[in-house]
Amino acid sequence: MIQQSQTLRALLPGDAGAEGAQKTALAEIDASCRVPVLFFFISGLAWLLAGTVLALVASIKLHTPGFLAGWEWLTFSNVRTAHLNTVIYGFASQISVGVSIWLMCRLCRIPLPAPGLVTVANLFYNLGVTVGVGGILLGDSTAIEWLEMPRYATPILFFSYALIAVWTIVTFRLRAERHLYVSQWYLLAAVLWFPWLYGTAQVMLLIEPVRGVVQAAVNWWFAHNVLGLWFTPIGLASIYYFIPKVIGRPIHSYYLSVLGFWSLALFYNWNGMHHLVGGPLPAWMITISIVASVMMLIPVITVAINHHFTMVGHFGKMRHSPTLRFIVFGAFSYTLASLQGVASALRSVSEVTHFTHHTVAHAHLGMYAFFTMVMFGAMYYILPRITQREWPSNGLISLHFWGVALGIILYVVPMSLMGFIQGTKLNDPTIRFLDVVQFTLPWLKLRTLAGLLLAAGHAAFVVNVGWLLVRMFEPYRKPVVRILTGEAETLAAGKQP
Amino acid sequence: MSYGPLLFLGILLTLASSWVGLVLMPHRQLGALGQHTDADTAAVHPSARAGDAQQGADHYRSLGCVYCHTQQVRPEGYGSDLERGWGRRRTVSRDYIHDKTVMLGTMRTGPDLSNIGERQSDAAWHYRHLYNPQITSPGSIMPPHAFLFETRAIGAAGRSTNALVIEGAFAPPAGHEVVPTRRAEQLVAYLRSLKSSGDLPEAPVKKEEAAK
Amino acid sequence: MPVIAFILLGSVVLLPVVALWALRWAAAAGQFRCPDKAALLPFDESEPVGVETDCILGGNRR
Repeated sequence: MIQQSQTLRALLPGDAGAEGAQKTALAEIDASCRVPVLFFFISGLAWLLAGTVLALVASIKLHTPGFLAGWEWLTFSNVRTAHLNTVIYGFASQISVGVSIWLMCRLCRIPLPAPGLVTVANLFYNLGVTVGVGGILLGDSTAIEWLEMPRYATPILFFSYALIAVWTIVTFRLRAERHLYVSQWYLLAAVLWFPWLYGTAQVMLLIEPVRGVVQAAVNWWFAHNVLGLWFTPIGLASIYYFIPKVIGRPIHSYYLSVLGFWSLALFYNWNGMHHLVGGPLPAWMITISIVASVMMLIPVITVAINHHFTMVGHFGKMRHSPTLRFIVFGAFSYTLASLQGVASALRSVSEVTHFTHHTVAHAHLGMYAFFTMVMFGAMYYILPRITQREWPSNGLISLHFWGVALGIILYVVPMSLMGFIQGTKLNDPTIRFLDVVQFTLPWLKLRTLAGLLLAAGHAAFVVNVGWLLVRMFEPYRKPVVRILTGEAETLAAGKQP
Repeated sequence: MSYGPLLFLGILLTLASSWVGLVLMPHRQLGALGQHTDADTAAVHPSARAGDAQQGADHYRSLGCVYCHTQQVRPEGYGSDLERGWGRRRTVSRDYIHDKTVMLGTMRTGPDLSNIGERQSDAAWHYRHLYNPQITSPGSIMPPHAFLFETRAIGAAGRSTNALVIEGAFAPPAGHEVVPTRRAEQLVAYLRSLKSSGDLPEAPVKKEEAAK
Repeated sequence: MPVIAFILLGSVVLLPVVALWALRWAAAAGQFRCPDKAALLPFDESEPVGVETDCILGGNRR
């Protein structure tokens, strides 16, 4: 990777690219992003569908253990693990890359450079996820959470992430807009942090495994940082761009946004050991992580204030913009998930919630109610602009939004509550373990119901996207309601702007 | 904002330090841990795993048991792990030095297994439980692991010595028996080896507990 | 064992070096000046401040 950068640096102009380069029209930038971003979005959504099916199967198996119990490759452990890896690496990470690429081009004000690099990254990426998930179902799971893909699959993904990091640096060097917006800080950080995290974890857990409980330390340093240094920055970068863009007003306080970035960078990566409270590790490590978790209140509250004051007076615009609906839902959930996370890290709370379904609910509050909803919002903005077509069905948009919004609320709220009660019962030694299990059953069935709502929302979205892609091959038809600007419309109609 | 760069400098330097703090330092601190020999009884803890049990650990990993079962006993006064009889003392770093993959677990959909070898040493119970958890634990949501067993016709020599004794609804068809495969034998050997109650200087077993 | 030590020590040195370089670059490139101007970066002549850009639902016709 260092080799490649040096060669490229020789080929590229210096930072003076910012001086002489012409700022490209937004519509032209969008058109240049079409194929690479579509590759990532389409493959990401395919994995979302697979991940949704796996999620439903896993959810049903937990309250009905006889369901599909005849096949070894379909045990609950396999299905749950395949679900996690499919949605984290197959879906969420690929949509992240697609959004990140588009945001970088837009904010750097240049058409997408080196599309070949991006396409190769995408091909390797899908190969890696396929091999990885296949390996898991065949019994080769490493049983290390968030790093279950076997050793023969992970280097493929690492290579892909490294290519994306290189591409991001190249785009940054070629930028026409000299100043950096806060979103670019987050994106640059995320694409550089993640390959390093992933590579280190692979070496220390899979290739040359460390001994004893240090494995657990490395495992949770890695897994928590996937959330905090990869997904969270990309989610926040998106929120910081799309809220101002949709409502037409700049972010409330740029200074607060930069403060939020640096305090996140400072505190987030010390959080990892809060997954091991009460566990067989030195107390000082656990304590530092709890302290760092509480310090997270600084960036979280900073970001919440910034988003809220930017939106104040403009909440009505959510009626008109699907992007804004999803993004605001996501932003609000980010605050909630973070507050829940801070609370869960405290020893007194962890004593109750650790090892329960409360943790699972929290994970979905963060990864779905925050991150996935923000990604949906981003896709609603980006897809029409890169395909230069309008959304075919507003009905499907509403079905998508309400399906997933209600679905995730029905998932997270009952499961968080149930997990807390489950933990209280587990801490009462007079209550039989099997009785606690019986108590959780009706709630687990409710979760399956929530999962069906999420699945319906996903189906609606995928149908709409598919329809949009079909329209790409038809001539552009000017609809009654339009979002594309005059320039884009002219381009789409095949004329010169 | 002339103080800005100074502020950012401090933050940047601390960025790399989490990795030093949470990864490098524990590695140094814990990497040198070895077995402990009890001065009175000369018992060694933790003892290395015999061949079958070591294989069994790999099956435990491959089957993903870690997603429902933990292998860590929390300290006294924190949760009710000890009161539930899941161990005579909390588990500590030294207990895991022989584990190729350390599987502490993060969910207790099922009970903690750190000391299952002490709590339930009957191999026959484990075979029945793995074959179909409903046999030993009605109402359990653990899935059946029939694929770890072979249902076959009883041979001319009569029932096999290691055939499972199952009555009622879960019994095999007449004239058939359920026999564990090698994998099941290794997994059960592993489960029966799970014992983390040796007296350690950093985690002594209380005298009342040791007397039980 | 040596492999890990190499990676660990290498990263411990590499990360702060990269971070300091990034900071030095940022200061030299004037990234810390005019923070309020930076807030306007998502906007330009074609999509200026004050104009909504995504009215596609709720019967908003233009």
